[in-house]
Amino acid sequence: MATASQASATMSRRSFVKASALCGAVAASGIAATDCFVKADPARAAESNDVKIVKTSCRACIAACAVLAHVQNGRVIKIEGNPESPMSMGGVCAKGLAGIQALYNPNRLQYPLRRVGERGGNDWERISWDEAITDIATKINEISDKYGSEAITVSTGGGGNPHFSNVKWFGESINTPNVWEPGCAQCYLPRMAASQLVYGAGKPNNLSFADSNGWDYYFDDTPVTSLVLWGTDPSNSSVATGGRALAELRAREQGLKTVVIDPRMTLDASKADVWLPIRPGTDAALLLAWEHWIIENERYDAEFCKTWTNMPYLINPETRLTLKATEAGLEGTDKDYVVWDSKTNQPVVVDYPMNEGVDPALFGTYEVNGMQCSTGGELLKRSCEEWTVEKAAEVCWLDADQIVKALEIYTDPEGQSGIMQGVPIDQYPQSQQCALAALALEFLMGNVEKPGTMLQNFKGCPVKDQLGNTPRLLSKEKVMKRAGYIEHKGLMDWDMCFIPDVMTMMKDGDPYQIHMWFDRSGNKHAVLGNSLQLDEVTPNVDCIVHIYMYPTAFTRMYADYALPCTEWLETNLPIPQLNTVVVRQAVTHLFETVEEGIIWTNIVQKCAELGNEAAARAFDPEATFGHVLYKNEYEKQKQHMGTSGITWDELCEKGVMEWCSVDEYRTYEVYKKIDEKTGKPKGFGTPSKKLEIYAESNTILGRTGYPWAKCAEEEHFEVPPASADYEPLCYYVEPAESPVEGAEGYDPDFPLVITNGRLPMYHHGTLRNVPWLREIYPVPELWINPADAEKYGIEDGTWTWIESRRAKTRGLAKVTTAIPKGVLYQERFWNPEFLNSDDPKLAYTAMNYNVLSKTDAPYNPEYGTYTLRGFTVKVYPCPEGAPEGTWMKPEDFTPWLPTPSDPTEEVFDYGA
Amino acid sequence: MARNCIVVNLDRCTGCYGCEVACKMENDIALGEYWNKVVEVGPFGDYPDITRYKVPSMCQQCEDAPCVHVCPTGASYRDPETNIVLVDREKCIGCKYCMMACPYGVRNWNAETKTVEKCTLCGHLTAQGELPACVKSCAAGARFYGDLDDPDSDVSKELARYDADAIHTLEDVGNHPATHYIWSPKHGEWKERI
Repeated sequence: MATASQASATMSRRSFVKASALCGAVAASGIAATDCFVKADPARAAESNDVKIVKTSCRACIAACAVLAHVQNGRVIKIEGNPESPMSMGGVCAKGLAGIQALYNPNRLQYPLRRVGERGGNDWERISWDEAITDIATKINEISDKYGSEAITVSTGGGGNPHFSNVKWFGESINTPNVWEPGCAQCYLPRMAASQLVYGAGKPNNLSFADSNGWDYYFDDTPVTSLVLWGTDPSNSSVATGGRALAELRAREQGLKTVVIDPRMTLDASKADVWLPIRPGTDAALLLAWEHWIIENERYDAEFCKTWTNMPYLINPETRLTLKATEAGLEGTDKDYVVWDSKTNQPVVVDYPMNEGVDPALFGTYEVNGMQCSTGGELLKRSCEEWTVEKAAEVCWLDADQIVKALEIYTDPEGQSGIMQGVPIDQYPQSQQCALAALALEFLMGNVEKPGTMLQNFKGCPVKDQLGNTPRLLSKEKVMKRAGYIEHKGLMDWDMCFIPDVMTMMKDGDPYQIHMWFDRSGNKHAVLGNSLQLDEVTPNVDCIVHIYMYPTAFTRMYADYALPCTEWLETNLPIPQLNTVVVRQAVTHLFETVEEGIIWTNIVQKCAELGNEAAARAFDPEATFGHVLYKNEYEKQKQHMGTSGITWDELCEKGVMEWCSVDEYRTYEVYKKIDEKTGKPKGFGTPSKKLEIYAESNTILGRTGYPWAKCAEEEHFEVPPASADYEPLCYYVEPAESPVEGAEGYDPDFPLVITNGRLPMYHHGTLRNVPWLREIYPVPELWINPADAEKYGIEDGTWTWIESRRAKTRGLAKVTTAIPKGVLYQERFWNPEFLNSDDPKLAYTAMNYNVLSKTDAPYNPEYGTYTLRGFTVKVYPCPEGAPEGTWMKPEDFTPWLPTPSDPTEEVFDYGA
Repeated sequence: MARNCIVVNLDRCTGCYGCEVACKMENDIALGEYWNKVVEVGPFGDYPDITRYKVPSMCQQCEDAPCVHVCPTGASYRDPETNIVLVDREKCIGCKYCMMACPYGVRNWNAETKTVEKCTLCGHLTAQGELPACVKSCAAGARFYGDLDDPDSDVSKELARYDADAIHTLEDVGNHPATHYIWSPKHGEWKERI
């Protein structure tokens, strides 16, 4: 491979630093090299220092911390935090600081490459961008003509400087509905979409702190007194933003109480007042027990629930939806809701928000028009009736007293709490159930849009980091061909398709064959479930294009074209952070790398030029409903800056800009604001304007696709119902592979349940090629409780086989009480050091958690979520150790030390 | 004399290893070598009272520094102007006595220069009015730099916010480390030895 030879020509560490400003500045400022720290002359140092400091922001993860890049002679020589960011406040984590080693990594893809010879080989030829784009566009057009454009699939991934909306936009532009990413149904979509359905405050506004929600918590005057970190670890996942915010809140005079629900004792858990090391895959059981306890102990905010939730609304037992006035035989329309008035003991049509003098019953079942109608609250109560704290303790492997202690903190009448819900619940089939239940808890407690609550509806920034996509470019016929469209309608929210079906389509051509695959992501082997399936599905795909900063195992094994995209230090993007916008601007540009959006648009433009009529429509304001695809960097920036009045150049110069004051930004209780048209409070963005504790919107989605089914012909169109109703309330299902004896999915051969989780030095499948990070964490640790270690003969610090029903792989055992008995933890991993070896498959088989995980049924009904966490495995010693050639010692990573190079011209025209 | 040092507030520290990387970038430290290393402590104790934290360890700026006493050439010395313990590489003969004498194992053997080196509190930055690299970019705002004898310094102000039972040093065997760590008893026990 073109890049393989570069690796051997690596400069030594010292030679890199000699090219850097550190020694330059020190020597030039006359400080003695022997004790270079004592007698610097600031005036002389400044005078001789030609280092330029560029304000930009990191994209080693999604947190976008503001940084200062020190540049000398066009080369980035140092990174430090920019204190102007209101979220990261000058902090940067190891990933961001190591950005130089990612940027100048000797493994960078430098030019477009085309495979020579068979897949699996490692021979490539350098081609020009023009040739690459023309080749690929020709292929798209040929496949579209021959098989239909839906035979092309497009995927992305969260790690390594991607831009999520791009792939959707690209897919729609080349007229394919089959766009996906392994996050989505397995990361963030469930929590975001559930919130859109039952809270309706628009995106994002949900419980995911790691996705930069919880804005009130970045202000130290927030009255929050306690937080529940439900499967989230800001100390690992959003170190300098969320992690920092929690550190600041804990350090206040009044402190911050925390409950951490996580099988791992993270550093958030170690500081918590209560740590609940829950069994992976059982969160719904605990959520039900919390609902039960809060109702039984009357800790909910009754007044709020009566006025601002649909808890008192009567439910029609036949439709399972809210009872309407017409169905109740009352005066009113089929849009009017009905409650039971406890004062007069009769049904009453709701006069929004609530009739004066009426006391709507939250609980109970009442006869209305010959039907036995329960309130939403009654159905909620029944749904969690059996879930006592003791029962949850048994199912979740927790201590009942500790659960109650946690509940006392969360429901303290003197305090203000909130739930931060993390990604684990998105990674097994109860994703939607857990997301709905956590929101129901927050609604019950009235934790909505108050100072100190997690859920907020603060003012939206006119600058957009995500440009959105153009779903209505696709015809109804095309949309209906999207994999999983009818069965898993929650995916409609992100206009993405169901991955297991795409894999089947690639492998077996059922219901039709996928012929071409674009992937823009880090290593799919590390993040896709049951990832050995890639070896089976790729042979039937005629053309595979990989776009990334480095070759991964995916490139090495399957790609026919490898296109080099930019690292974050070469990328432009404005990022809203609270009441400011933070810039990410290209600090340098290397080789022939191209920002991915510019790659996508050039492919679409070429398709159109070569006669693809669908592609031409992407630039037509009418066909795109005013949302045309940009043609170049200039047009892109204009779209991002929107109506803000801030220009891109201005933002680049200032680095961080306020777009409104803090007071204007922090808008509380927006739902109470009077709507001038009606003279009544605006309410929430649900059809009823109420928070849906009884999530009928979920059921309606499953039956019709409303509100997300859309196509070129219609803004909303009705899609046939899924095979079973989407339930409006949470329920518990024991994981399909269960570690509990007697459970249906129990297999004594696989007695332990395993989970994964975040680490602070990596993001998804990224950065395993960065020496400063790999020396900290060279190989994945397998956390195992001392009791299990003894039982299965595993010693601390020894290599261990982990085997699931699908495959086996290795982990380096860490015997620790930071994980409870019966549970294992290992983070996702892959080994780039094997890419150019005789056995490149070792890169993704040697120690990769995701060869173990599970992508077959059961799936979450709403999103098709498969099982990345909470499946079962066995462990046994691996006396043969890691495969030869595994890099573990710090000096092993020397070949990957940075190879700095001078900036190059951009490949494509800026556009203005 | 000034007692310049770093104070690390472990109540804030998220254990992200950023300080390790910041130190390497600023001071050009080789792979496998460290002037500042994050060390895991715990977990120990029984549920629900388990303690786990990470300690960034670096030269603790001992007031009575064993490394200075044992150095046969005067390479390990206390700078008369700043009162900081430093190493003069030109005088170092690589005997490693200081490494053996250091109670905390925070001195680094530079395999390339064959000399001992260690945290300098980023004197080249502080002399220009900047903060040490690890303090400047600490993701959790957990690191502080300054003079313990100056009540207005960042270190003194941070320590003043805590009760005595939350303020610790690594094991003091008469060498009086200036570096202090904050770890509140409500979060767990403190281990003097790492």
